Amino acid sequence: MTTKDLIDKIGLRPLSTFEHREVNGVFVSDMLSDVMAGAKSGNLWLTVQTHKSIVPAANLVDVAAVIVTGGKEVPQETIDIASKYNIAIMVSDLPTFELVGKLYALGSFAK
Amino acid sequence: MAECLHQWTMTNVQFGFVVFEKCFHCNSLGTYFTGEDTPILGDKYREGDCYWSRVENAQSIRFDLECSLCGRLEKFDDLMGLMHCPGCPADCEVDAIRKKCEAERTWILVAFGFIYKDKRGPLPQAKVDILTDYFNQRRDTSRSRIKIVSFDLIKDLSVCRGDFIHDVGMLSQEPLMERKPLF
Repeated sequence: MTTKDLIDKIGLRPLSTFEHREVNGVFVSDMLSDVMAGAKSGNLWLTVQTHKSIVPAANLVDVAAVIVTGGKEVPQETIDIASKYNIAIMVSDLPTFELVGKLYALGSFAK
Repeated sequence: MAECLHQWTMTNVQFGFVVFEKCFHCNSLGTYFTGEDTPILGDKYREGDCYWSRVENAQSIRFDLECSLCGRLEKFDDLMGLMHCPGCPADCEVDAIRKKCEAERTWILVAFGFIYKDKRGPLPQAKVDILTDYFNQRRDTSRSRIKIVSFDLIKDLSVCRGDFIHDVGMLSQEPLMERKPLF
């Protein structure tokens, strides 16, 4: 499963410019320190945070994409920094719970 | 016997707060980690000639690194946090390294030790290198790499506009150049 597959299958809206890559799991958290400790390279990171600080955290642990849930608006500054570092920022209009359900149903990386 | 090619894993993870405090007598800054549930801002105490008051809390983690091959434990209780350098108008060595490394898809982060009475805690280069190794071992390095440098390279902390990877100010969207300095 790649970030491109996810755009096609669950309607994520890409905001930053990035190279598509493999996705190997999902990590859900709204705390940067939690992500730093627990997210794995290639994970999707689901969050409601949109502050630009999510980009260095995502970059540090090499997540495949940051998915902002609940259709929240992402500041342009966050998008610009993410594009600079080749970090995928995508938005889902679904609340986190529903998006997790859809991702789990896709099956290929639900553990 | 061959030297171990360490494979680091994060261990002894403790969630808590980095507390920033200021002395209203000599204006010194101090930072420390606490595992308190909710450190109270404005809490004051006297220490010698200093009158410390907590001015900011940032949710953060403390951790150690352990080699899964040889069992070596490297403690990082002196690491205050990692900071992303967005580039500054100041003539700073970190910014110079950042510009050079970004061309090779190597992203720079700055490791800070704790601060006491404006003195920056030591973070030996060997430990900074271990942090770099650890975060590169956690990532797909065929795409990009991480390089961590010590905060000693920052020329002037009073004009530094870096972003700590701490859970603080996440609702603040003020433009970069209008933000108050970190220190």
